[in-house]
Amino acid sequence: MTDIEEKLRERARQLLESEEVTEVIAWGAGRFVNQTTPLFISEPAQADEIVFNDYCINILAKYAFTEQGAGRVAVAVRGCEARGINRMLADNQIKREQLFLLGIPCGGMKERLSGETLDRCKSCTHPNPVVYDEMLGEEPEGAFETIVASQTARFAEVEAVEAMRREQRREHFDEAFSRCIRCYACREVCPVCTCRECFVDQQRAGWQGKQNNLNENRFYNLTRVFHIADRCVECGECARACPMELPLMEVNRKMIKDLNTLFAAGEEGLTSELDNALGRYDTGDVEEFM
Amino acid sequence: MLLKREHLDELLNSLSKRARVYLPARRDDTTTSCFALYQQVGRQAFIDASLSLVNTTMPPKDLLFPQTQKMYRYGVDAEGSAWIDPIHDADAVVVFGLRSCDMRSIECMDDVFLTKGYDDEFYGARRALLTTVAIGCTEVAETCFCDSMGLDPNTAPAADIQLNALTDGSGWLVNAQTERGRAALANWQEYLQQEGEKREPSSPLEPAPSLVRSACTLKVNAEGIKEKLDELYEHPLWDEIAKKCITCGTCTFVCPTCHCFDISQENRMKEGERFRCWDSCMFSAYTEMAGHHNPRASRAARVRQRFMHKLCFFEERYGKSLCVGCGRCVEKCPVALDITVLIDRIAALSAASPAALAASPAPSSAAIEGGVAHGAN
Repeated sequence: MTDIEEKLRERARQLLESEEVTEVIAWGAGRFVNQTTPLFISEPAQADEIVFNDYCINILAKYAFTEQGAGRVAVAVRGCEARGINRMLADNQIKREQLFLLGIPCGGMKERLSGETLDRCKSCTHPNPVVYDEMLGEEPEGAFETIVASQTARFAEVEAVEAMRREQRREHFDEAFSRCIRCYACREVCPVCTCRECFVDQQRAGWQGKQNNLNENRFYNLTRVFHIADRCVECGECARACPMELPLMEVNRKMIKDLNTLFAAGEEGLTSELDNALGRYDTGDVEEFM
Repeated sequence: MLLKREHLDELLNSLSKRARVYLPARRDDTTTSCFALYQQVGRQAFIDASLSLVNTTMPPKDLLFPQTQKMYRYGVDAEGSAWIDPIHDADAVVVFGLRSCDMRSIECMDDVFLTKGYDDEFYGARRALLTTVAIGCTEVAETCFCDSMGLDPNTAPAADIQLNALTDGSGWLVNAQTERGRAALANWQEYLQQEGEKREPSSPLEPAPSLVRSACTLKVNAEGIKEKLDELYEHPLWDEIAKKCITCGTCTFVCPTCHCFDISQENRMKEGERFRCWDSCMFSAYTEMAGHHNPRASRAARVRQRFMHKLCFFEERYGKSLCVGCGRCVEKCPVALDITVLIDRIAALSAASPAALAASPAPSSAAIEGGVAHGAN
């Protein structure tokens, strides 16, 4: 890990000195032990502020979107960041030539207070970046291959929910959605949520009522899930960011599981090609609903 | 007076017959917590009600200022005449186990909703029926910094009743601190005991030595923060920290003092319901006006507004900080944008060079005022 940190600092310094990039996005130290925070540096001298350790829980992908216009930007990318960036490239939301991707092999991250591996990392199928300009350290073997062992973990939660009785399931999600405070952190960190204007904010259309109650909360969460359904890169940052610990990935992965069954959709964000299941039509598609 | 631990449940049961009693409780299957109705704890989703829980994830503010407050119903009747029915839904409430920071946050909201010639009837109705029972902290979180913001984690002087845990774990020392508190204690009498002969009733400022005392481990230099910020409105630091901020509403919704709201309605056929609900200055729609003009279109402008309101503007108007040092935003911010780091940074900036505070490079302020947003939606 410290090896990666040194290389990140070194390359950040060089890229800024040579003016190949105007900004480097990585992680810096937080106030507390085992806490990191997204870091943006534009001076070579700031390179030593970069840290990389087991607690870099923030997925930086969305910043490649929000930092557009800052010139060419270097971003530290692991598997999750890389897939988010591929997704935004496929959606034509960012430009590849404006990015310099510093690839990092990832062994999974830990939760600050408990020290346990993050849930999302346990079911990660691509810990290593699927796109990068430069790999820091050894190019990991099989970087582009899916980790088969994680495939079981990937849908374990969904299967548990599917096994519930209908009423139980209703209760399970009602309890979760009634907890939602509608801070929209899930939307803001999501590399798929790049709409210029979210349906939530279309106040004149009034899709989303502003009151906080189970109905409106359910409407928000399920609409978002439907909206990102075939594009979710399963980074799990929404669930990680949620202050109320809603089981957001259960719903996202249910959609993905169904898409896999119906359209053999596979995994999103592995390339920057626009190839999501609901984005194209095939005469052989299942259309039970017609 | 002493409240023995074994009498707590009896007391809460008894109080529940006269009022809705709320106390800190953890939610099932999560690490989140809130103030939950005592009668529901152990049933529904709430487990593990405990007066030793460190700050609840959600503050107690929704007891006075609900996330959604129905205000009135309206409609048109068969004769074509309009009607309006106000909604009054305030009940007697006892909130049990407030921390000093929570109590101060209620004082801040009282200032906003009940002073300076403004009397908010919805807030006022709830406030008039609220009895506040504070408890001295027996534990502090690593994110707690109330004593740097001028509070004492052991005492909340504005609370109606103050509890302090005894070091032997047998119960709490009970002090009524207001008229309402003294009146409320009448209902507590059969569950209380006189203190032992040898211990004098202690004043809130000097608790008896056998009481648990806490101090925050996180120390922040908030001395003169308002005056420092007065000089920093145009400083480039807002642009810098805004890069990290994702402008979600987490900090404002978990904040015990954030009190901004929007008024909206739900219409069905010929009738409707008007309500107000929490809003967040982090959202771009918060300041959006008719015709889409937005005076705070950029992230930097919104981030600046929130910190300025907490640490500068409120103090100017009401003479106290709107940050009570509870640490909820520090704990829950998805990107660890830490108000304590900002406060210390402002102190350092000011110490390093008072002149630097006034520096206001043109591009920075232009970017903020002109609404050049980072990824504005």
